[in-house]
Formats: sequence, C-alpha cells, structure tokens
Amino acid sequence: MSAVLEVRGLRKCFGSRIILDLGEINLARGERCIVAGANGSGKTTLLRILAGLEPAEVGEFRFNGEAVSTTPYPDRLRRAIVYVHQHPYLFHTSLRHNLGYGLKCRHVPARERARRVEEALEWSGLAASAATPPSKLSGGEKQRAALARAWALEPEILLLDEPTANLDQEARQRTIDLIARLGSGNTGMLIACHDQELIKLPGMRVLHLAAGRINATQAS
Amino acid sequence: MDLLEPTRQAFILLVAGDPDLLEIIGLSVWTSLAAIALITPPCVGLAFVLARKRFPGRRAMIVSMQALLSFPTVVIGLAIYLLLSRRGPFGDWQLLFTPSAIVIGYMVIAFPVMVVFTLSAVQGADPRVYETARTLGASRLGAAVTTLWEVRFGVVAALVNGFGRAISEVGCAIMVGGNIAGLTRNMPTAIALETSKGDFAQGIALGMVLIFIALLINVVLAWAQGEGGLK
Repeated sequence: MSAVLEVRGLRKCFGSRIILDLGEINLARGERCIVAGANGSGKTTLLRILAGLEPAEVGEFRFNGEAVSTTPYPDRLRRAIVYVHQHPYLFHTSLRHNLGYGLKCRHVPARERARRVEEALEWSGLAASAATPPSKLSGGEKQRAALARAWALEPEILLLDEPTANLDQEARQRTIDLIARLGSGNTGMLIACHDQELIKLPGMRVLHLAAGRINATQAS
Repeated sequence: MDLLEPTRQAFILLVAGDPDLLEIIGLSVWTSLAAIALITPPCVGLAFVLARKRFPGRRAMIVSMQALLSFPTVVIGLAIYLLLSRRGPFGDWQLLFTPSAIVIGYMVIAFPVMVVFTLSAVQGADPRVYETARTLGASRLGAAVTTLWEVRFGVVAALVNGFGRAISEVGCAIMVGGNIAGLTRNMPTAIALETSKGDFAQGIALGMVLIFIALLINVVLAWAQGEGGLK
C-alpha cells in the first residue's frame, strides 16, 4: 500500500518539557492505526498537530508522496485530513446543517450536498433524529453525528480522538460499529484511544506512545 | 410639581403624531442606526482578532477599550468639536452642527461598547467551534463567521448596547450637533432643552419614546434568544 502520510522528525515542546518526539510515523492509504498510550503520553497532541491545530517542529511532512510545508498548514490538507474531537462540537444549527457544513466549505452544490447529508444520516443511524436540535442529542448520538459529518467528506485521513470515551455500552458499541465501517474504504484512520475492542478490530495497527515517543508497534 | 398634566399632554403629542416630535425621534433613530451600521464590521473584526490572536499591544488595546467605556461623552464631544471646527484639521469638511457630526460622535461613543461586548462573547465561545470549522475545511474567514454565528446572541447584545448608548447620549450630541431645531435636535438634547425651559410635556413624551425603544430592543433580543434555543 502506498503511504498517504509520512512524517519524520516531529517534535513538540512546551517550554523545556518535551511533549512529543517522534522519529517517524507513516500511514498507508486506507490503513487503520490506533495510537495507544497512557493519559498525557501525547496522543491528542499528535492528532492535533497532524490536523494543523497545534504548531510543532516537523522535519519532513509528506502527503501522498509530496513534501508539504505545515507552517502555515495548507488548506488542501485541511480538506483531506479531518479531525474529530474527543467531545465533538456540533454547531447550534440543525443536524443537517452540521452534516453538510464541510461539504459547503468544499463548494459541493446544494442538491448534491442534500443527497450526501441524507446518506450520512442513514449511514449513522441518525435519520430519525434529524429534526432534533444538536444540543438535545445524547453523547453517543453527538459522536455518531460527528463521525457522519466526517464520513460525508470522504477524507483521505481521519483523526479520531478517544471516540468511545465517556459513552455507555450501547453508544460505545454503535460508535465502534461505525468506525469499523468507516475503515472499509480508502480513508486512512489514526485513532487515539485505550479501548481494547477498537484495538482488536481486524487490520488495526497499534502504535504505543509513552512519554511522547513510540515505544512499540504491533498489528492486531 | 404636577406631573399628571404634562404627562397627559405628552400622550396627546404622541397620539396626535406631533410633526416636531416625530422629526426629533426620526433623527435620533437614524443617526444611531447609521453609526451602529458603520462601526459594526470594524468592531466585530477587531473584537474577534483581540479575542483570538496574541500580538504585542493586545492587552493595551483591550484595556484602552475598557477605559473608553467610562470616558465622559462630553469630552469625546469636545475632541470631535475641535477636530471638526472651522480651525480644526477637518474643518473644511463643514460637518460641525450637522447630523453627520452626530453620527461621528455616536460612532466614537459606541465603538468601545461594541468591541468590549463582542470580545467578551467571542472569548466565551467554545474553542472547539473555530477548530471544528477549520478541520472541516472552512477558511479562516469562514471559521470566524461560524464562531460569530455560534455566539450571535452575544454579538446582538453588543449591537443593542451600542445602539442604546448612542440613542440616549446627550453631551456629545449637544457639542457637535448644536441642538438646532429641525436639523440636529434629537431626543436627549430636546429633553434637556425642553426641561430647562419648563416645558415638560415634550420632554416626558420623548422620555417615554426612549423608554419604549429600550424596552422594544430588549424584548426583540429576548425573543431572538428564545427562538434560537442556544442554551
């Protein structure tokens, strides 16, 4: 598989404290990768750097084989790499508007946007909740809405930060099912989590992060 | 002092649609609205930059804006008067004692109010709003607009406060407008003048209109917040 993302010499410090110091991290097209590690090991920071939400020293950043400068973070990477917060934020509009937001940013025509939003609602099992204000959705529904919003964009890389944290068993299972289906296409995924069930999904590569460094890699 | 008779006369003036009264009310409303419309884009833009960016002088700018909130409006009027007077740097524009001068005064007075209120609203926004918009592919401007939309009631509150500050202002309007009947006489300056002459009816009528406008704005704001279901 060709690498969609290759990053070398990634380093992040807060003052004299080194938060991340990664020699190399790669993600192949359609590959699913878990970033595991204890709290404070740098998982979220890594994802936020890759999403362009945190500045960092980056030796080399290659996207689809092409070297890319990440300062400033280019808009075309923002459209190819989508980050989902641990506690996703849904805009105080409608669920359909939320799901269509990224499509609108990509200038997808209104009719096509509406079709893809309906598909995303069906895909995530939220069609019945489409009329519910986002603020009234449960934690699990918000997580699924955020996944559907990302799925509708067909990103090349999806960065998920603790997608199953703080969810009850049923919501967690539904979220895991969606993530399993998300990974069946060309979308590469980097998932920061501790969830053993997610880690054990077939084809999942696991990077163990400790004190800002990768200390082990394994295939599940 | 008998307040019943002037109040009765005030109602009569309002109900009869006294032309002088309507002219004064109209001038107050349009000069205030014009000032707010003109300063809204720079105020919102500046507040957003102050809330989100870190740069040298940022704190000094915020402190200055907060200090300007309590700046005497008559001093602002004096400064504008000196700038617009015939011997001032902008004397050639011949704006002194015109409604345009009042609009300029209102802009200066409402500017810090709107910046400080909008700044507070944007600072109170969830940081994930901007990040979510950006990571979904929005441009910086698009993400900024999304953030402002998420805190729209705070932004509207800033506009309302700016408008309220402008329409009820008297010191600056007298200084730069001159309180000329039929040209620059607005509600607060007319109330001050009529009261000093002992003609309370028009003062009370205009006072009632001012209070009605204040109530109306707040009712509209409360209604909008309820409909929006933000919280």
